Amino acid sequence: MICGKRYWEYSSSTTTYIRMMAVSDSVIGSRLPSSQGRTLKEKTRYILISVASLVLFIVIWDLASRTGIISAKKLPVPSKLFETFLYKLTNKNPDGNTLGIHIWTSLQEALIGFFFGITIGVPLGISMAWFRKFDKLFSPLFDLIKPIPPVGWVPIMITFFGIGIMSKVSVIFIASFIPAVINSYSGIKQTRDVHTWVAQTFGASRSQVLFTVAIPSAAPMIFTGARVALNGSWVSLVAAELIASTKGLGYMIQTARLVGRIDVVFVGVLVIGVFGAILMEGLSYLERRFVKGGRR
Amino acid sequence: MTVRQWISDDTKETWIYGILGFLLFLMVWQMACVFTDFGTIFPSPGVSIRTFFMAFIEPIGRYTLLGHISISLKRVLIGYGLSSVAGIIIGLLMGYSKMAHAIIYPIFCIVRPIPGIAWIPLAILWIGIGESTIYFIIFMGGFSQMVMNTMDGAQHISPELVGVAKVLGAKENQIFRKIVLPSSVPYIFTGLQTSLSTSWMAVLAAEMITAREGAGWLILSGMQTGRIENNVIGMISIGAVGLLLAALLRETERRLCIWTVRSR
Repeated sequence: MICGKRYWEYSSSTTTYIRMMAVSDSVIGSRLPSSQGRTLKEKTRYILISVASLVLFIVIWDLASRTGIISAKKLPVPSKLFETFLYKLTNKNPDGNTLGIHIWTSLQEALIGFFFGITIGVPLGISMAWFRKFDKLFSPLFDLIKPIPPVGWVPIMITFFGIGIMSKVSVIFIASFIPAVINSYSGIKQTRDVHTWVAQTFGASRSQVLFTVAIPSAAPMIFTGARVALNGSWVSLVAAELIASTKGLGYMIQTARLVGRIDVVFVGVLVIGVFGAILMEGLSYLERRFVKGGRR
Repeated sequence: MTVRQWISDDTKETWIYGILGFLLFLMVWQMACVFTDFGTIFPSPGVSIRTFFMAFIEPIGRYTLLGHISISLKRVLIGYGLSSVAGIIIGLLMGYSKMAHAIIYPIFCIVRPIPGIAWIPLAILWIGIGESTIYFIIFMGGFSQMVMNTMDGAQHISPELVGVAKVLGAKENQIFRKIVLPSSVPYIFTGLQTSLSTSWMAVLAAEMITAREGAGWLILSGMQTGRIENNVIGMISIGAVGLLLAALLRETERRLCIWTVRSR
C-alpha cells in the first residue's frame, strides 16, 4: 500500500530541501556503504546475533520443557516435534491420514477456490470500474457482502454442500473473490488521466485504452489483491477445516487436540505456517515475473 | 475525474441503479426459494427480515441479537487493543533498532506466517476453554500484521531527516519522538486497518469452536439446529458492525494524519 509522500516532499521551497540534502549527506556519509568492509562486517555481526538468538530461543524452550518448568503436555521438546513430524509422514495415527494427504487436501482446496475467485473476481472488478452502469448496478450489492468475514460463510456453505471439498472451495472462493474485485476495481479507477489522454490523442479506441493502458497500470494493484486473497484463503481454509471436515491440516490439528496429542498440534500449526509462507512466496515470484514497474 | 465528482454528477442515476440491483437480488433470492429446492434449506428474504427484527426482542440461546453482538464486540476490542499495543511496540523496536531486529526477527519469523485461527487448538490445550482463550486467538490474529506494518514504517524514515536532526543536535529520544514516530503513523494505521478485519475473522472462528455465545456461536448454532435464518442474521449483523468499525478507524486516521495524502 502506498502511503503518500514524506512531508518534506511538500516543502514549497526547493532550496531548503537541497540544503538539507547537502547537510545530511555529510552526516550520514559515514553510514553509507563508502567503506564496504565495515558494513559487511556489521552485517555478519547482526547475522551472528540472529543465529544466536534463535539458538537461545530453542535452548530455553528445550530446557523449560525438559526440566518440567512447563509441562511436556503443554510444550513438547523441540526434538520431539521433529520425531513427530517424521512419524506423521508415514503413520496414520491419530486422525486417519498421513501428513502428506492432509497437506495435499488443504493445498488442493485452497488453490481451486483461489483460482476461481481470481478468474471471476478480477474481470468483474475491471468491468465494474470500466462500465458505469455495471458499477451502479453491482456496487451497492457488493458493498453489502464485502464486510462479512469469509469465516462467517462456513456454516452456510456446509449446510449447502456438506462437509466435503465443495464447501471449503466455496468458502475460499468468497474469501479470494472479494479482495480480487476490490483491488482490480480500485486499480482501474486509479489509472492516470494523463495516460488515458495520451492514448486517446493517438487515436486509441476505448477497448485499446482498457487493454493497453488501464489494465497494465492496474496490474500491481491487482497482484496486491491476489496476495490479500491468498492470505485470506489460507486463513479461512484452516477455519473451515477446524469446524467441519474429514481431512486437511485444520482437521488434523483439531483431532490431535481432541485426543490430547499436543506434539501433532504443534507440527500441524508449523506446517500450516510453512505452507502459507510458500504460497505467498510463489505469488511474489509470479508478480516479479509478470508485473512491469512494480511496487515501491 | 475523481470518483467523488462523478458520483455527485449523477446521484440520481446511482440511486436508481443501486435500488434496481438490490431489488433484482431480492427477486432472484425469492424466486429461488419459491421455485427450486433452495427454499427447503434456505429462508426466503421475508422470513430473514422478520427474524432479524424479532431477534432484537426475542433471545436466541441466552441473549438477544444485540447481546450476542456486544459480546463479540467486547472480545474483539480487548484482543485487538492488546495486539495493537504489543504490535506497535515490537514493530517500532524492530524497525528502529537494528540490534532488536537481529534478536527478535528470527523468532518472529516462525510465528508470523501462522494464521491466528490455526492457534485455536493450541490455545485450547494451553489455556482451556474460556474468555482468555478467545482473547489470545484474536491477539494472535492481528499481531503479526501489526508488527510487520509498524516495522515497515519505522524502517522507511528518510535518512535525510534523521541527518538534519542530528546536525541540529537532536538527541536519540528526540529523533525517535519527532521523526520516527510521526512518519510511521500512516503505516501503523494501515496495520490497524488490516488487523481489524483479521481480528473480526478470528473472533468468529473462535466463537464457532469454543464459545457458547456471541455472533460466531449464533451463526454456527443456526447451522446445527437447522435454523438457517439465525445464520443469515448473524452474518448481516457481523458485516454491519465490521463496516462501522472500519469506517470509524478511517475517520480517526483522517483526523490524526492530515499530512498523509493517501492514494486511495
